[in-house]
Amino acid sequence: MVKNWFFLLVLIAVINKNIYSQKIQVLKFDALKQCIYNNSDTVYVVNFFASWCKPCLLEIPEFVNFDKGIKNSKIKLVFVSLDLKNDQEKLLKIVQQYSLQNVYLLDESNANNWINKIDKHWSGAIPATLIIKKGKHKKFIADVISSQTLFKLTK
Amino acid sequence: MKTIKSLSIIWIVLSVICTSAFAQKNNKDIVDFKLKNVDGNFVSLSSFPDAKGFIIVFTCNHCPFAKLYPPRLNDLNNKFKPLGVPLIAISSTDTMMYEEDTYPNMVTKANEEHFKFPYLFDELQEVAKNFKAQKTPHAFVIWKENEKWVVKYNGAIDDNGMEPEKVTESFVSNAVNELLANQPVKTAETKSIGCQIAFRRK
Repeated sequence: MVKNWFFLLVLIAVINKNIYSQKIQVLKFDALKQCIYNNSDTVYVVNFFASWCKPCLLEIPEFVNFDKGIKNSKIKLVFVSLDLKNDQEKLLKIVQQYSLQNVYLLDESNANNWINKIDKHWSGAIPATLIIKKGKHKKFIADVISSQTLFKLTK
Repeated sequence: MKTIKSLSIIWIVLSVICTSAFAQKNNKDIVDFKLKNVDGNFVSLSSFPDAKGFIIVFTCNHCPFAKLYPPRLNDLNNKFKPLGVPLIAISSTDTMMYEEDTYPNMVTKANEEHFKFPYLFDELQEVAKNFKAQKTPHAFVIWKENEKWVVKYNGAIDDNGMEPEKVTESFVSNAVNELLANQPVKTAETKSIGCQIAFRRK
């Protein structure tokens, strides 16, 4: 009996840890900018996606694949969800399904204020991916992307 | 069923953003079109001989951002149609990708949302290509100049999709008001998040 209780406690702890590590942080554009544009020698790969965007979801395995290949490197993968703030259920499921880390939900009502700050040629259609090196905009891809291309662009 | 599934996946992978992000959308001439409305009739720009201009909104059933706007589309049409600027909504989404956007579902949506304007099915996606529409919702204001239809505004409908009561700038409304007053459009292009119109490759 005691053993069973102990097992249950461990299980709860593991589940809790997973839920905690897969938390989605809701933030404003300026806060996001501070996260991804810093002068560190980290390369940031920022994927703009949403749970309602089918091409984005088809692309996620490519990012998962890429993420496996960048362990112990100075490359950091960040997901920026453009899901609606009050409708996160589907997003949470996807985050859990792929164990996605560094997921932010951008809480901005007027995209016209920030889309040009990511890339002035971006129409706002997703998926789109931004690569930042040493705090500088390096490459912006307004389309689906493969893990091979990601490896190439972050070399 | 399996072939349909794999086919649609290939479709999705093959679908590309045909319109270049650098493409100029404003001041472009628009060729008249003829598309099937949800009432079964065909609608063209020439179906409105007295129109001074049009509000053309590329929208669809499935997209969460598009879903935020139907009441506002009715408002725009109610406000501007009597002034000679009717609204036309067009769905150009690839129905292979989104079952929700098929013609019968468009008919249902138009009834549910009490659309008082045409909701047209751009099955071949040609009209979206002609406008260089990239996502839903993507609004255009076109105006008659020397017997041609010229794009004067393109972009978002307004600056707050989620909370209509917090809109501070109604981009489409402002553009139409300026054109009606024979003034240049101050904000002729805006950006917004939306669902990409994936163009099928021929």
